[in-house]
Parts: sequence; structure tokens; C-alpha cells
Amino acid sequence: MNDLLIAGGIGVAFGWALECAGLGDPPKLAGQFYLRDFTVLKVMLSAMLTAMLGVFWGGRLGMLDPNALYVPETYLLPQLVGGLVFGLGFVLSGLCPGTSCVALASGRVEGAATMLGLFVGVLLVGLAFPEIEPFYRSTPHGTLTLQRLTGLPYGIVVALVTVIGVSMLAWIAKREAAR
Amino acid sequence: MRLVRGLGIGALALGLVAPFTGSPTRTQQRGLDLDSIARAIDEGSDHVSARQLAEWIRDRRPGLRVIDVRSPAEFHDDAIPTAENMPIDQLAKSRFAPDQNIVLYSQEGAHAGQAWVMLRSLGVTQAVFVPGGLADWREEVLSPLLPANASPAERARIADLSHYFGGAPRVEGTQDGEIAGAAQTGQRSRRRGC
Repeated sequence: MNDLLIAGGIGVAFGWALECAGLGDPPKLAGQFYLRDFTVLKVMLSAMLTAMLGVFWGGRLGMLDPNALYVPETYLLPQLVGGLVFGLGFVLSGLCPGTSCVALASGRVEGAATMLGLFVGVLLVGLAFPEIEPFYRSTPHGTLTLQRLTGLPYGIVVALVTVIGVSMLAWIAKREAAR
Repeated sequence: MRLVRGLGIGALALGLVAPFTGSPTRTQQRGLDLDSIARAIDEGSDHVSARQLAEWIRDRRPGLRVIDVRSPAEFHDDAIPTAENMPIDQLAKSRFAPDQNIVLYSQEGAHAGQAWVMLRSLGVTQAVFVPGGLADWREEVLSPLLPANASPAERARIADLSHYFGGAPRVEGTQDGEIAGAAQTGQRSRRRGC
């Protein structure tokens, strides 16, 4: 019960942050795909950097065990196809699953439409699962992380990702300032 | 804008310092590296005899850390000199520097062997254990049997080591109960090989 309350609190904070970033607004999100608006990339990069540095330093200072975190397994081909389908839905609706909840919470009808589509999609995949299961489990690669893929130490990967992320954010900031 | 720049610089600093702080976990990869464990067991590099340990302690081997994995009560009752007490549940929470030579022992060796596997799974590879535990220590160091057919130098070496730790060697040919030198009581014969 306590876990549910904590999860609920984190969920509300997450939605609030998304709304503050303006991610409940479908044209803003779709703008990312046309390279008109870089809000999505900025939110994603800053979230990734915060989470990565938080996990690394939290682990280093003994506050959490990074190994206890669940890393989803990689199934290359089905996830590639799934990513494309997801991206198609994202650009068509201008919302992703999380932001559709935010959009609905802030009273946008697009949010309700996207969530309806989301649940229909989940239901269809669930019903068809016995047929698509062999594909779903094809090309397994286990838990694939950047350090496993490159063979580099964790700290080096963190530094490289930070440099890339911060450079991209700086580039976006410069681009926006130039307008 | 200044806040954003500050956050960016902060993130960059934290990220760039990361490679120099070591691993955030004691285990680079969770789980057992079964190949290296099998190799260590095959080569015998997983354990050390009680007599070898005694020589290490006497010679003050650098980085030597003798760890008694039994309960504090047992440890206070009797322990190998220079040992520190660290029951199994504490062992998993402890940190070990890579330059330390860790020697684990228990009463008869089984728990120390299990502790060795535990440390391996935590990524600690510089540990060994005493297969016969404290019982071996008593038998091989405190009251070792001086073989009748050994050279005088060899017998003197074993006896010296024993005397260093306040033990008393037994001479082969005498009864088990008859001990050369100081009286040693409470020493029961035990089954070997565990």
C-alpha cells in the first residue's frame, strides 16, 4: 500500500513536470518530428542525464544499488518494428502514452482519443499474442546496456553520454537563441 | 538562462568526474563468473593451508587480512591471531580494497568455502580460505605432528612455526594424547576431508 502511495506521488510529479514542459500540447510534440520545436529532445536529454548521473552517483555514494534496477531485455527485430509503430502513432497523434494522460488531465480531447487508441492497441496485441509470440521473442540479446555493448567501464560511458547530451543541449540552446 | 547554464555545467562536471571514481557497485557484473571459479578450484588457488597461513602471519605478509566468519561468541572463545571477526551476513556488506589478501576461515572450513563463493559473486577475487578451518590450525600449527621420516631441518621448521604461535609439536610414534612440550587438552581427533 505504501509503495502504491509512493508510486502515485511520483506519477503525479512526473505528469506535472511533463505539463510544465509543455508536453501535453500535441502540435508541440509533433513539431519535434518536423524539427520545428526541440522541446521533446530537451526534456528527454535532460531526463536521461539526470537519471543516469543520479543512478551513478547514488550508487557511488551507497544510496542505491544500480544492479537492483530492472533493465528490460532487448529483442532487436520486434523492438525495432515496435519502435517504428510507436513513432508512427506518436507523430500522427502528437502524443505518447505518458503525455496522452497529461493531455487528458489538462482537458485536451486529443489526450482522450490517444488513450482510447492506446487501450485498443493493447487489447488487439493481447488478443493476437499467441500468433505473434514467436516474433515477439525473436532475436533476443539479453539485457543490453551501453557498457556491455562497448565493453567500456561504467564511468567512461557516463562521461561520454554526458558530453554528448550536454553538447546537444548547448547546440539546441544556441539555435533557439539565434532565432 | 543562467540557471540552465549552471545545470549544464554541473551535469558536465558530474559526468566527467565519473570515470575517476571507480565503479558505483562492488560488482561489475552481478552473478558468478563460473569459469574463473572452476579454474581457481582446479588450480587450488582458492585455498591456503593453515600452515601456509601461519607463515604469512609470522612473516607479516603485506596486505594480509585474516577474517573469521564464525559468530562473535565463537570468535571470542578462540581465534587465529591477527584475525578479525566478520560473520557471513556482515561479509556481504563489507568492502575490500583490491590490494588486500583476504584469508577466510571458519570452524571446519565449510562456511569459509561458502563465504569464498559469496565474495567471488561480489567481485572480490583476491580471497582464499583455509579448507580445514580452525581445526586445521590447531592440528597443523598449534600441535603439529613432527613426521619421524622428515629431515631435521623440516622438523625444526614446523616446530619453530608452532612455537611462534605458542603451540607444542607432537612427535610421531608417541600416543596421540602424549604431547611433546606443553599440555594440550580438548583436542579430539576428527574426520578429515570436510
